[in-house]
This record gives sequence, structure tokens and C-alpha cells, in this order.
Amino acid sequence: MKQSELISIAEDWFQSKKWKSFPFQQKTWKAFLDGKHGLLNAPTGSGKTYALWVPIVLQYLKENPDYKTKHTKGLKAIWITPLRALSVEIQQAAQRFADDLGTGLTVGIRTGDTSQSERAKQKRQMPDLLITTPESLMLLLASKGYDKTFKTLTAIVVDEWHELLGSKRGVQMELALSRLKTVSPKIRIWGISATIGNLEEAQDVLLGMDSEFRKNAVLIKSKQKSKIEVRSIIPKKMETFPWRGHLGLHLLEEIIPIINNSKTTLIFTNTRGQCEIWFQKILEKHPEFAGEIAMHHGSIGKETRLWVEQAIRNESLTAVVATSSLDLGVDFAPVETIIQIGGPKGIAKFLQRAGRSNHRPGEPSVIYFLPTHALELVEASALKRAVKEEVVEDRIPYLLSFDVLIQYLVTLAISNGFFPKEIFPEIKNTFCFQGITEEQWNWCLNFITLGSQSLQAYDEYKKVEITDEGLFKVESRQIAMMHRLSIGTIVSDSMMLVKYVSGGFIGTIEEWFISKMKPGDTFVFAGRTLELVRIRQMMAQVRKSSKKSAKVVSFMGGRLPLSSQMSKILREELQSEADHKRNTPELKALSHIFDRQERESIVPGENEFLIETFKTREGYHALFYPFEGRFVHEAMSSLLAYRISLLSPITFSLAYNDYGFELLSDQFLDIQNVIDNNLFSSKYLFDDLQKSLNATELARRKFRDIAVISGMVFQGYPNKVIKTKHLQSNSQLLFDVFRDYEPDNLLYLQAYRETFEHQLEEGRLRLALERINSQKIIWKQCEKPTPFSFPIITDRLREKLSSEKLADRIKKMTLQLMK
Amino acid sequence: MIQNIQIKNNFFILHPSGAIFWEDKKMLLIADVHLGKVTHFRKHGAPVPANAAFKNLEKLTEISNQFQPEIICFLGDLFHSKLNEEWQDFEKWVEYTKAEGILISGNHDIIPQYLYEDLGVKVFDDLLLDGFLLTHHPTEIKGTFNFSGHIHPGIRMKGVGRQFVKLPCFYKTETQLILPAFGNFTGKHILNPSEKDEIFAIVEGEVICVSKKIKE
Repeated sequence: MKQSELISIAEDWFQSKKWKSFPFQQKTWKAFLDGKHGLLNAPTGSGKTYALWVPIVLQYLKENPDYKTKHTKGLKAIWITPLRALSVEIQQAAQRFADDLGTGLTVGIRTGDTSQSERAKQKRQMPDLLITTPESLMLLLASKGYDKTFKTLTAIVVDEWHELLGSKRGVQMELALSRLKTVSPKIRIWGISATIGNLEEAQDVLLGMDSEFRKNAVLIKSKQKSKIEVRSIIPKKMETFPWRGHLGLHLLEEIIPIINNSKTTLIFTNTRGQCEIWFQKILEKHPEFAGEIAMHHGSIGKETRLWVEQAIRNESLTAVVATSSLDLGVDFAPVETIIQIGGPKGIAKFLQRAGRSNHRPGEPSVIYFLPTHALELVEASALKRAVKEEVVEDRIPYLLSFDVLIQYLVTLAISNGFFPKEIFPEIKNTFCFQGITEEQWNWCLNFITLGSQSLQAYDEYKKVEITDEGLFKVESRQIAMMHRLSIGTIVSDSMMLVKYVSGGFIGTIEEWFISKMKPGDTFVFAGRTLELVRIRQMMAQVRKSSKKSAKVVSFMGGRLPLSSQMSKILREELQSEADHKRNTPELKALSHIFDRQERESIVPGENEFLIETFKTREGYHALFYPFEGRFVHEAMSSLLAYRISLLSPITFSLAYNDYGFELLSDQFLDIQNVIDNNLFSSKYLFDDLQKSLNATELARRKFRDIAVISGMVFQGYPNKVIKTKHLQSNSQLLFDVFRDYEPDNLLYLQAYRETFEHQLEEGRLRLALERINSQKIIWKQCEKPTPFSFPIITDRLREKLSSEKLADRIKKMTLQLMK
Repeated sequence: MIQNIQIKNNFFILHPSGAIFWEDKKMLLIADVHLGKVTHFRKHGAPVPANAAFKNLEKLTEISNQFQPEIICFLGDLFHSKLNEEWQDFEKWVEYTKAEGILISGNHDIIPQYLYEDLGVKVFDDLLLDGFLLTHHPTEIKGTFNFSGHIHPGIRMKGVGRQFVKLPCFYKTETQLILPAFGNFTGKHILNPSEKDEIFAIVEGEVICVSKKIKE
């Protein structure tokens, strides 16, 4: 069949559905049928699934002209989705097209939720299209004979590539693709991405360094634009609105009319804990919603999650309180309104959430922004501008993630085994590892075979073994099993299953939370009040409780920093405030706070850099306001603390948010001294920053993920009860052991490099320091905490830095006693 | 750098390594060495630096050279796992050391008793000496003072300016003293003492009483 004939089959089908294909879809079909690879830039709900699924089917028709009578077996395509919640939608859409054309093609799903029997069935006979996650794809590479499974593959589509790109899951994907390029000779590689600042780079990362793939690739952009309207929920009484906080419950009543006036409302929170609390409080204040609202987050059991998703589609729910677990992909047509609680911190994330609401043609998506504390209204004002000016962020890909590489190599070693000389060129051709040296490669090989660089005479280290032919292979079944359980790059705290005593799975919560409780204690989880009965083998058995008020389950989990684009806009909004413009409703609403800030200190203008000091019961506070976003503040605070600590022995506790940072000490800090010693200098920045890094615990925290991903810490697994206690250690302990005994370990060093590259952003820091040096420094010695300082000084997540002797510090401290 | 304490008219030295020297009996008390742990991890594919394994025996040698004890009593969890290569190092060390060895068996001690006995190390479930009860798990028996391990005790110190520090410690109540873990790859468990307890924290090679302020 000619290409034009094939395409008319698709067009006919579109017409039969009374749809019209978009130009970007047609472009993608043609490019695919011409054998090209590429990246498709299209928003959710724009028909991106058909842009790529259609040509995959057409290609099959082309190669199998008698497709109506004879089905050719074997896997044709893999569809990667970052969230399992999306897979059902894609499956339905794909199956519909395949069935209507009478192709006999089957569409299957394989994720963490797929049952054991279904997996076994798939192993015997793969579906034609497999929808899966990066982790499940890795697990397929961990099974024997994967090369045969993937041999017939004609396409792999990585959906929501922008989501994966800036994370280690992206690296995992790059490595999987590097293998598929070899074992699947007919493969076409496609990505689908929402709009991000670095689309071209995103395409390069996806396709890797092979010129063959890069030359033969296209970047297709859909012209569709989603119109978005941002509405802030402004408290009626600003005077009583809190200066700090992250829950936003003060404004609960404000969202009730919004929920009532809309078919289905999605309420997005930033954390699972916040999600639980909001759900609880809405029901408490408005029991009439019982049965009409639901909750959705990643720790709730799969059945409940699927039920909620289905209920949204059936329009049987009025509102759903959710976390990022509902961020992506699927279009829930009945959703009319979105409410965002608290700052989303990034423009892309905000747009993505806004895009979750149904857009009738010509009408914009509406998203409400509910601030959790007063200054967050500035963020709302900034967000509006960002949306208007179409500002988008970059997603920075990871480089040289040895932890992911080591995990991948062991994965290959437990399935078919591998020959280094065959795999090295593949690795070297990925974007992530383009700069890997021969020496680093050998280090990785030594690491998985010897456990270090120098072989001890009688060492018993056992992981990957080398056969006489030079094949790297895992022989131990226990090691293979432990590795399979640990595949993945999302590191969370040790999780525990929560089940009713009578059976019935509720969800998973972090072990540290439950470890603080005794049997008989109650807590709120998944919207229910539960009483802990006993803990048995990584499982918390509970029963329903009628007791009121209880601890709401909480989760650790990172805070999102403001992106650089976002912080620039934020700074400009605030500076317009210094000029008393107050030209947006949000800034107007904040008048009295700004007035108070002016009274007690100042609102810094464009050429001013504000430093405030004051004393409270907690000690001496020094606050600095660069308005550069959390990451830069994190770096700048430890840099400054380090430089000050060189002047005389002192101990600091550091806190930062998106507006500024605090150095808290038990000693008075003379800011004039800081200014006179030119401590904001950008000279020796790199050096000082590295040294400050050693003095704080940032790298130590990064090491946690690295230790887990590279298989040094085995976490055990919630649903498989295996006796592993004697093999459990924690990454903190390991970090110390490496520091003391193997400081040149590449994974140990990676913790520092990652902190540097992904967290501290030296480049941005340098620019910020240069800006400060051109500004007038204004030091205000205040009587008490100012409105600007309040959210920072009350932050409990802190970093510390000290140049005092520990013994001297201990002498000033007191012992924490039993409560 | 060290702390001298007196219990029931006996004299004890608390050493920053985590060991206690019982002067009257010339006996070293040492808890939770967890020998073999590093090798055990390595054997199961977790590449903990192999060098870390030697440090424990080096520390044991240093401390026995310093105090020249007649008896070294291990309060349990001497060996972390099944037999592995670290056992041979331990054998050499037992041969080298002049003191008599005693092991109070702990939950991790699964190596057959006769292997210890072949080396001349006596193994007990617990031991009562002049009113002092030596056990692995903290145990209260009326009229005795209990020395134990198992817990790997640590405490949390708090200071002005939101300062916090966690430290391993000797944890003493009226009737018992729990020793910190001696092994270097062990970790600690944070306890919240009551006002009556005496806490001796290990801070950069020093043993410091941190509960004094409360007593005053």
C-alpha cells in the first residue's frame, strides 16, 4: 500500500467519528511512515495519542497486507507513560482504532498494578502494543530472552517525556533505549512532550548521540494553544489572614460555592498530607458532601484510586482532592474547574494542572489559586503574568548518573548477562553518559563485580560474576530477586502496608510515621480514622475508630523550589510594590502587610538589598532577601554561613524559602562585619561553595537516593515479606563509612556533584551575587519579626553549619528529655 | 576525655570507644561489636567498603593494649551474622590478646557456641558477678545492677538557635547501664531520658556527662 492510501484509511476513520485530523497529526503520521524518529510537542487532550498510534497501526497494515485474515504475532510497539493512572485511557483509545480497522491488534498494560497471572500471560504472548512505565520496561530487560521479545518492535513512544526528562527516570529511559536500538533493529523512537524551554535538547536526550538517529529525526509542534484563566481567591478579611502556613484551611469556605457551581472540581494540593487534611476538613465542615467528594493520592490503594478515576469519568463525584497523582495525561471530560491550593512553584506544573479542566472550544480553562499564607498572593500575581507572557521553564537532564548506570548493568546481568565491549558503545551514545571515560566505565564494572577497586585476597563480595567467556552475569537467585525488587529510581521512605485486621488493603504509609505510634493510637488516613492494632512484618493492622481528632498521616517528601523564571517574575512583582504601584488585585489585597513591612523595615526596591536582624527567644536572626528562589537561597545561605564561620567559631541553623534566607545563631551577628569583609563577593565562589558543601549535610541527603538506586541499601519491599532485617542499613551510616574508608568512590562523589549541578546552580548564584554587589545594602535592625521574615523563621526544615568544636557546642546545649 | 564512675563501691571507667573498664575486676565490658557485618553485606551484594571491617579489631586491640584487662566480656552481638571471613580475623585477634574472653550471647550471635569455646571464649546467657548482672538485653532483677547492650543508645541535644545534635551515649539509670555500640558500622537508637537518668555522651573522642545540669 502506498503512503497516501494508508493515510486515507486513517482520515476515513476520523471522518466516521466526525472528527477532523489536525495538521500536527498528519505531519506526525507522514514522518513516522517515512521511517523518522522524533519529538512531538503537543498539549494534553489534543489528540496526541492518535498522532502516534495511528501510524504504528498503518505501518503494520503496510507490512501485512492480508491483516484482516492473518494476525502476525509479536510485540509491535511500546508506549511509555510516567503514571500508571494514564494507561487505561491510552489503552481504550488505541484499542478502539485497532478494532474499528479490523486489525486484530491487541493492546495490553504492564505496570506495578498488573497482576502476576497477567504478567505471566504476557510473557508467553506479548500484546501488539504494550503500555508500560519506565520501571516495568526495566523489569522486562531483567528477564531472560528479552532480546527475542523486543526483536519485532517497530516503535517506542515515550509519552510525557518532559516529566521524565529532568529526573533519573529519564536516565533510566535513555539506558533502556540504548539497548533497544541494538536488539530492535526496526525501531523508531518517538517522544511526546508538553511545552518546555529546551525542546531541542529534550529531543537530543531522547535520541542519544548516534548521528544516524539524530539526522533522521523531526521535531513537530502542534499549533494548539490552551487558553488559561487564573483567578486568585483573595481573603475577604486580609487582616486575619495568616503570615505563614501551608495548609490554607482559612479559605475553606471560599471554595464551597466554586464546588457547588461546577460539574466536577479537582482540588490540587502539594503534598499527600495536605490532601488528607483538606479532604477531612471539607467533610467536617460540610457533611452534605459525604459520598460526593473523594481523595486521590499515590499512597492510596490501587482499587480506590481506579474507582475514583472511574467515578470522575461517570460524573458521580462533585469534587476530588488530589496531589500530583492526577497531574498528567488523562482527560476527565466532566472536570470543569481546578483549584490549586498553595503555590505550585513552577509555571509548567501550574499550566499542566490548569489544563486538567475541560475546555469547551473557544472557552479558557479556569484555575483558581488559593493562597495558604499572605505573601503567596504575590506568587499568584506572578503566576498570572507568567501565564500571560507564556514563560516556560527548562528541564535539566541529568549527566553521568552512575547510580542509575550501576542499577542498569546489574539488570542486564540478571537476565541475559552482558559483554562490556558490546554495552560500552551503547552507553557512550546516550546523552547522559556521553562524557563517561574508560576509567569511570571500568570503575563501574569493578564496582559490580568486586565491590570496590582493589580485590582483597579473601573477599567474599558477591554480585555480578564474570564467566570464562567474559560474560557479566548474576548467578545468585537471591541477588537477582533482591535486584528485581529494587529496580526504579524513585526513592521513598520505607513504606508500610496499612490493612484492616479483617483483611482489606487501605494503602501505604511511610514507616517513620507509624514507628512513632503505639497500638491503640489513632490516625487519619485515606479519609478514615483508624486505630493501630499491631504491626506485623512491614504491615500495620488497623481497625476503624470512632474517636475524634487524631493525627493525620503525614509524608516526608520534597518541597518544590521556585524555578528561576518564576522567581524573576516574582521579584519584579515585589519591586513594583516598592514603587507603591499595587497594580494587581493580589497586591492590592496585601496592602496592609506591605504597610507593616514598610513600618518595621522596608520593601526593597530594584537597587536595594535588604538584610534584617532581630532577636527572639530562639536566638539571633539575620534575614537576607535576594528573591532568587529556593535553590539559590540554599546555596547562598550555606556560602555566606561558611564565610562568616571562618571569621570566628560560630554555629548557624539555616532556613530558606523562595523569597530569602535566614542565618540563625546563638550569637549576635554583626552585619557591618559581613559587609566590610565583602562576603557577598563572587570571587573564589566555586571553592568556597565546595567547602561549604562539605560543612553542611546537603550531599549527605542526596546520597540517600544514590545509595538506594545503586543497590547499596536494600529497602525490602512492602508487599513481599522477606526477612531482610540483617541486611538493612541506612544510607547515613554508609555515607560515613565511605567518607572514612573510600572517599574516592564515584557514587560518594556523585552526591556532591549532583548537589552542585542540580541543587545549587552555581551559575544562577554567581549572577545573584553580582546583582547584590551592584545594589545598595540596607541593614535594618528590627524590634521583632517582620512580615517578610515570618514564613522563613518559622520553617522547621533546616540545614546547619558550624565552625565550633562539637564539645564546645554540647556544653551550651541541653539534653532532650522524655515528654 | 574519660569518665570515672562509682557503682556499689566498684570503680568503672567509661571510655570514648564505647567500652567500660571495671577496675576492681580488671574487666573490659564491650557491647554490640557486630563483627562480620561489613563482610555479610558484601556477600549479599551491598558494596560497603571492605576496609571498614578491619577497624573494629584495630579498636579492640587499641583498647586492650591501653587497659591490659584480665577479662574481656562482650555483652552480645559480637558477631553480626553467620560465619564469614571476618571470623578468621577474630580468631587471630583472640590468639593475640592475653585476656580471657567471655561472650554474653545476644540476638545476633548465631555462630555455634563450640566455635567460641574452641578459641577459649566462654559463652553465657547472662552472668552475675558480685551483684552486677551482665546481659545483652537490658534486664531488671531486684538487688542487682545490670550492664547491657542491644539498644545502641543515643540521645538528642538541643541548643539556642534551633541547634540539634544526636550522639551515642552510655545510658545509666539507678539500676542499670546500657553501653553504646562498639562497632563502627552500627548506628544508634535515640532515647528520651527521664530526669533521673545519667547520660554520658561520646563527643569527638571525649565522654561528657550531659545530664549534670538537670541534677543540679
